[in-house]
Amino acid sequence: MSSAPDVSTSNSSDSGRLPTQFPASVIRLDNGLTVIHQEIATTPVVVVDVWIKAGARYEPDGWTGMAHFLEHMVFKGTEQILPGMFDAAIESRGGLTNAATSHDYAHFYMTVAADDLPHALPYLADLLLHAAIPADEFVRERQVVVEEIHQSWDDPDWIGFQTLSEMIYGNHPYGRSVLGTPEILQERSPEEMRQFHRAHYQPDDMRVVITGGVPLDRVLELVQTQFRAFAHKEPCPAAAPVAPPQLLTQAKQQTLALPRLEHGRLVMAWLGPGIGDLKQASGLDILATVLAEGRMSRLVRELQEERQWVDEIASSFSVQQDCSLFVLSSWLAPSYIEDVEKVICDRIASLATIPITTVELERAQRVLCNDYAFSMETPGQLAGLYGYYGTLATPELSLAYPGYVDSYTTAQLMPLAQEYLSPHRCGSLALTPA
Amino acid sequence: MTVSTAPKQNAITTHLGNGLKVIAIENPVADIVSARVFLPVGQGHETPKNAGIFSFLTSLLTRGTTHRSSLDIAEAVEYVGASLGADSASDYSLVSVKTVSADFEKIFTLATEILREPSFPENEIELERKLTIQGLRSMQEQPFSVAYKYFREGMYGEHPYGFSSMGTEETLRAMQRDDLLDAHRQHFRPDNMVVIIVGRIDPERAVALVDNLLGDWAAPDCPAPKARLPQVESHAYRIVTPQETNQAFVILGYLAASVKHPDFAALKLLSTHLGNGLSSRLFVELREKQGLAYDVSAFYPTRLGPSQFVSYIGTAPENTSVAVDGLQSELRRLCDVPLTANELQVAKNKMLGQYALGKQTNGQIAQLLGWYEILGLGTEFDTTFQTDVAAVTIDKAQEAAQRCFVDSYISILGPATAVEPLR
Repeated sequence: MSSAPDVSTSNSSDSGRLPTQFPASVIRLDNGLTVIHQEIATTPVVVVDVWIKAGARYEPDGWTGMAHFLEHMVFKGTEQILPGMFDAAIESRGGLTNAATSHDYAHFYMTVAADDLPHALPYLADLLLHAAIPADEFVRERQVVVEEIHQSWDDPDWIGFQTLSEMIYGNHPYGRSVLGTPEILQERSPEEMRQFHRAHYQPDDMRVVITGGVPLDRVLELVQTQFRAFAHKEPCPAAAPVAPPQLLTQAKQQTLALPRLEHGRLVMAWLGPGIGDLKQASGLDILATVLAEGRMSRLVRELQEERQWVDEIASSFSVQQDCSLFVLSSWLAPSYIEDVEKVICDRIASLATIPITTVELERAQRVLCNDYAFSMETPGQLAGLYGYYGTLATPELSLAYPGYVDSYTTAQLMPLAQEYLSPHRCGSLALTPA
Repeated sequence: MTVSTAPKQNAITTHLGNGLKVIAIENPVADIVSARVFLPVGQGHETPKNAGIFSFLTSLLTRGTTHRSSLDIAEAVEYVGASLGADSASDYSLVSVKTVSADFEKIFTLATEILREPSFPENEIELERKLTIQGLRSMQEQPFSVAYKYFREGMYGEHPYGFSSMGTEETLRAMQRDDLLDAHRQHFRPDNMVVIIVGRIDPERAVALVDNLLGDWAAPDCPAPKARLPQVESHAYRIVTPQETNQAFVILGYLAASVKHPDFAALKLLSTHLGNGLSSRLFVELREKQGLAYDVSAFYPTRLGPSQFVSYIGTAPENTSVAVDGLQSELRRLCDVPLTANELQVAKNKMLGQYALGKQTNGQIAQLLGWYEILGLGTEFDTTFQTDVAAVTIDKAQEAAQRCFVDSYISILGPATAVEPLR
C-alpha cells in the first residue's frame, strides 16, 4: 500500500453548472478502494457508510434475492467475529448500525461517537471483507428473509409497486423484487453466496464514505489499515448483460383485485433517463413537482381539492443507474379510476405542447432546491448522498442537482415531456378491492 | 455514547406579558430555521363523543384563516419551498415551521396567523372529514394496525388513548364547525402555549419576532378546561382476530407508568434492552437464534397519562403459538431474573447514545425540548432524564418490571387455522 494516495478535492465534472468547490475529499487508494470524506467539526459523531456495487442487478440467473440475503448474512460474522458481536459492539457504545440493498447497490452504515471510530471501524471492515457465511446461520437467516417476504405480501402498496415494476421494466433486473422468492432462496447454498460475496465485495466496487467529527488524515490511516486484506476475487456466475430498460412504445395497463383493500389505487409510471443524464432527470423532477407535489400543484388542486375525485394524489421521482422512474399515485374510490386516468393522461400530454408558467417553474425550483438543502442537515444524510452518487456516478455529481434544477426555462421542459411522458409511454396499474 | 449533539448554545428562555413561553436557540451550522408552537391539548382532552377533534382541528388550521383561503396559504408556503404543518398527538397539539433562514420571518408570521385566526371553512371541513374517514379505513389494510387497534381498545376502553388519534367514523361524522370553533377558543390561548425556535437566527431577534406577532394576544379570563379522564383499570385481556394474511401478528403488552412516574426511566431502559436495535433481547432471541421473524420489537411511549409497554412480532402463521410463548417468556424473565450488570450498562449506553443522536437537526431539538416544556417537565428534563437513566440500578429495573408486567394484554391476528386455537 502506497503512503501517497491520489487526493483529489476537485469539482471536475462534465457539466458547466456545478456549484463552488466540492466540500468533500475523494481519494482512490492503491488497491482501487475509493474513500470519500468530509469533516464536520461541529458534530461529535462520525458516520461510516460503505456502498458496494453488489445490488440485485449483479445477480446471475436464478439467484434472485442473493444480494439482499447476503446483506443479512454479512452481519453473521467472520472467523474473528461471532454472530451478533458486531451489533453488540456498536450498539453497546450507543451507536447505530444497519444496512440496505437496492438493485444498484448494497450499503452498510453506522453512526458512532467520534472517539469510538477506531474501535468500531475494524469490525465493519472485517465483516464486509471476510463475511464467513456459516451454513447453520444461512439456514436460520433464510427463515428471517422469508418472513420479510411474507410481510411484504401483506402490503398492498408493495404488491402494487412490484406488479408495476414487472410491467414497465420488462426483462431488466429492476423488474424483479430485491427480496427474491422463498422458492429461489431455498435452492441457494452458502457456497454460492460466498462466491457472490468474493466476486463483488472488492475494492474497485466499494466506496467508503466517512463524515463527521474526524479529520482526513485519521480517516485515511484507519481505512488504509482496515480495508486492506480483501478476499481473493474468484469466479462467480455473472449477471447476463442487459440493456437499459426501453421506454414503452405502447401504453400498458393492468388491474389487480386484492383482499382487504379499503382504498382503490391508481399508479401510473413513466421511465426517464438514468443517472448518466442527471440534467434531463432533474427536468423531469421539476415536472413531477409541478404536477403533484403540494397543494398548489396542478393535479392535487384539480383532482383532490376541486373535483375531489381522489382522496390523495402524489408524485415521486427517483433516479437509478439505468433509468429514472416518474410515478403518479392516486388513492381513490374504484369508480373514479377510469376518469382520473383520462384526466391525468390529458394533463400530462399538454405539458409537451403548452409551456408551464414561470410561476409554476419557480415554485418547483424552490421546493426542490430547499428539499435538497434540508436533506443535508446531518452527517448521515450527507454520507448517504455522497455514497449514492459516488456509487452510481461520481461523488461530485451529488452537488450538481440544484444547479441543474435552476438552469431550466419553461420552454426547455416541453421536449422532455414530449420524449418521456407521452401517454403511450405510460404503464398503469389499478388496485381494486377483491 | 455520552456526548451531546446539541449545539453550543446561545439561547434565551422567556415569558411574554400574556404568559406565552418563548425559547430561542441559535444553531448557525445549517442555513435552516425550525420552529414549533406547542399547546398542551391533544387526545388526552378528548371524550368518546368527540374523539379525533384535535387532530381534525389542527389539520384544518392550514386550510383557511380570516384573511386567507387554503390556496393562499399553500401558495405562500410553497413558493418559498418551506414547510408549514399542524398536528395533534396524545398529549399536545403543535404547529411546525421549517424554512431556509431568509424566509423564516415570513412563514412564521403566517404560522401565527393560522394559530390565532383559523376560519374553518365549511367546504374544507367536508373535504377533511372525507379524507380522515378514508384514512381511518385504510388503517384496516395493514395487519399490524388492525391488531394494534384491538389491543389499544382492550387496554384503554373509554379513555381517549383507546381511540385512534383520528377518532372514529361516528365522531367524525358528528363533528360540526361550532365544535371546532369552541375547542379553538377554549384551548388555543397564549397563556398555556410554548414557542420554540432553533436554527440560524439570533435568539434576541427570534424573541422580538414572537413578541411582535403574539404579544398582543390576550389570554381569556377563565382558565382552560381541564381534561376529565376516566380511570383505566388494569385487567388481563386477550383478543384473537382471524384474517387470511401471509403473516400472523402478536402484540403483547401492559399498562405502564406515565412520564412523571418514578419508574419511567427504568421502563425506558427495559424497552431499550428488549426491543431497540440488532443487539436487543427480542431481536437476538426470537429473530437471530430462532429465525421466527423479520419484524420483532418493543416500545414504551412517553405519555402524560397511563402509558403502555408493548412488544410485538410478525411471524409465520404456524409459528404463532411459539411466538406468543417467546414474547411472554422474555417479558416474564425481566420480572424473574435480574439484568446482569453488563446488560444494564449496555442498555444505558444504547439508550443515552441514541437519545443524543435524536437531537441532530434543528427540527429534532425544537420538537424534543418543546415537548418536554408542554408536558410540564421543563427543558431541564433533557438533562434530568439522562441522569435518571444513568441512575437506574439492577434492582430498580427488576422492581419496575414486576410492578408493570402484571395483567397482560394480548392481541393476535392471522389466518383462522393458526389463531383460533389461541383464543
